Amino acid sequence: MRVDIQSLGTYNRLAQEGAEHAAASLTQMTGIETYVDVTNVTLMSKRDVEDVFGGTTFVGVQIGLDGGLSGQTALAFDRGSAASIVDVLVPGATASEDDEFDDMAQSGLKEIGNIMMGGFVDGWADYLTTNVDMTPPTYVERDGTDVLPNGALERADEEHVFVFESQMTAVDEEIDAYIYMLPEYGAFAEMLEASDDHEDAIPMDKLTVFDEMTRQGAERAAQNVSSMTGIETDVDVSRLSFVPIEDVPNTARDEVYLGTVMEFKGTPGGYLAILFDEPSARTIVDATVPMELDEPLGDMGESAIEELGNIMTSGFIDGWANVLQTSIDHTPPELVHDMGTAILSPIAGRLGQSQEYAFLMDSAVVTPEGEFNCEIYAIPDERKLKEALDSLLVERRDELEADTESLF
Amino acid sequence: METYGAEPTSSATQKRVGIAEFAVTDGGAVLSTSGLGSCLGVALYDERAGVAGLIHTMLPAAPEDCPNPVKYTDTGIDTLLAAMAAEGATTANVTAKLAGASAMFDFDSQEESIGDRNVAVAHEVFDQRSIPIVAEDVGGDSGRSIKFRGDTGELLIVSSGNETRL
Repeated sequence: MRVDIQSLGTYNRLAQEGAEHAAASLTQMTGIETYVDVTNVTLMSKRDVEDVFGGTTFVGVQIGLDGGLSGQTALAFDRGSAASIVDVLVPGATASEDDEFDDMAQSGLKEIGNIMMGGFVDGWADYLTTNVDMTPPTYVERDGTDVLPNGALERADEEHVFVFESQMTAVDEEIDAYIYMLPEYGAFAEMLEASDDHEDAIPMDKLTVFDEMTRQGAERAAQNVSSMTGIETDVDVSRLSFVPIEDVPNTARDEVYLGTVMEFKGTPGGYLAILFDEPSARTIVDATVPMELDEPLGDMGESAIEELGNIMTSGFIDGWANVLQTSIDHTPPELVHDMGTAILSPIAGRLGQSQEYAFLMDSAVVTPEGEFNCEIYAIPDERKLKEALDSLLVERRDELEADTESLF
Repeated sequence: METYGAEPTSSATQKRVGIAEFAVTDGGAVLSTSGLGSCLGVALYDERAGVAGLIHTMLPAAPEDCPNPVKYTDTGIDTLLAAMAAEGATTANVTAKLAGASAMFDFDSQEESIGDRNVAVAHEVFDQRSIPIVAEDVGGDSGRSIKFRGDTGELLIVSSGNETRL
């Protein structure tokens, strides 16, 4: 299957509009200014799906579509997100962690879910110039991957599935919600599928190789942190998503980070940012600098983080270079210590001069005891990514799976 | 295009502006945007009409037929002026304040930074519209977060823990 980048962009925009409708209604109903921070289309393998959805309870609505577009679509909030919405939407409704949501809470969530889906489906129908009928929403409460529509998990096992994710927040942070929209795979995949001669199309199988490369690169970077700090690490999430370029900076949280940024040149070109939040940076500095520092994040601390950023960067790049069987030139990593959005904004700006959307590969390196976490953002230049994928033989994928140990 | 808060609501006391977004108030709300790196924050104020607007632009100049004018400094300023005019502002009475547009880091120093180009384009646009830039805090290598008071036109800038009022 080949994926048409333009239609991926269109569906992303429709999902964004649906989420904005919902945010606007929430604002109107509650008087709290609510915003959609980011809407992305994420490409998930079975492992990614299990990472994201496993072990969490989801509530939401299931809506059946008929007409120009058919199938089941689920719209889900993780329980904590749903509770934050219920709290402001229907104060007095039950929303504690242990208790079931009561009727009032359920109907509030159903309404929000319906508004979001309505916005998305209407946009979809307009785009396809067809009519789409929606069945009334059914309230669902499900554990883990059961929230996915029928067949999605099996599909993810064979290739990858698309999940729409919107992040909604309010000015005073009473609401912090992730909303997942999970379309039934068949119809959606058909719409995204491009004919082979479409110049904007990206072959899915190669794109998923890239996703795997990112995970492996992050794992290699994580190993390097472990050997330097003596703290056991793990890659928690690693995924490939497709976002409007202006949303790239918002994918970092609204806090101060310390880390390194570098530009990689050639094929694929782009940027790599390795960012620690300040408490994490402090932990790292304590673990790696042999003396007590008055100012853990002063010059000494910053240079310890810079060193770590260098080491992680080379781990990451080695992984990519091995798979692509080419050397990847890059600028020396530069130290950054600033707000996450500010750090990512010049990267988005530079890429935004020639592309409307970005493939964002983000990974999180965490530790079992929660000593620190680190966010890794790799944002390739779209054109160069396509070149790299074009020259990437799909057979490499089998080799990659069979021979990961020697590659990474 | 997101235009949250483009419809002023008197109840809202604070409105957040994201990247490639703007907000207008005629009710004295505080307009805020955070994490300005190479992006530019443009705060416009018509004291006589009591209308204020804030935009967070990402890139200097829009290409032809661009789908989102708010993303660019040149087309964004005009979009904001039009939205303010719809709330009763008169362009001849508007004054401007600028913040942001830092370099953050320089991978490739041959090229002029996006931040510098954002500022240059803003100056050009305001020159053409005869709108005075009454204050600016731009450039450098640190990010900024700003709050713009719709009732007084005062701009509060926080950067690396330091506060500046313009």
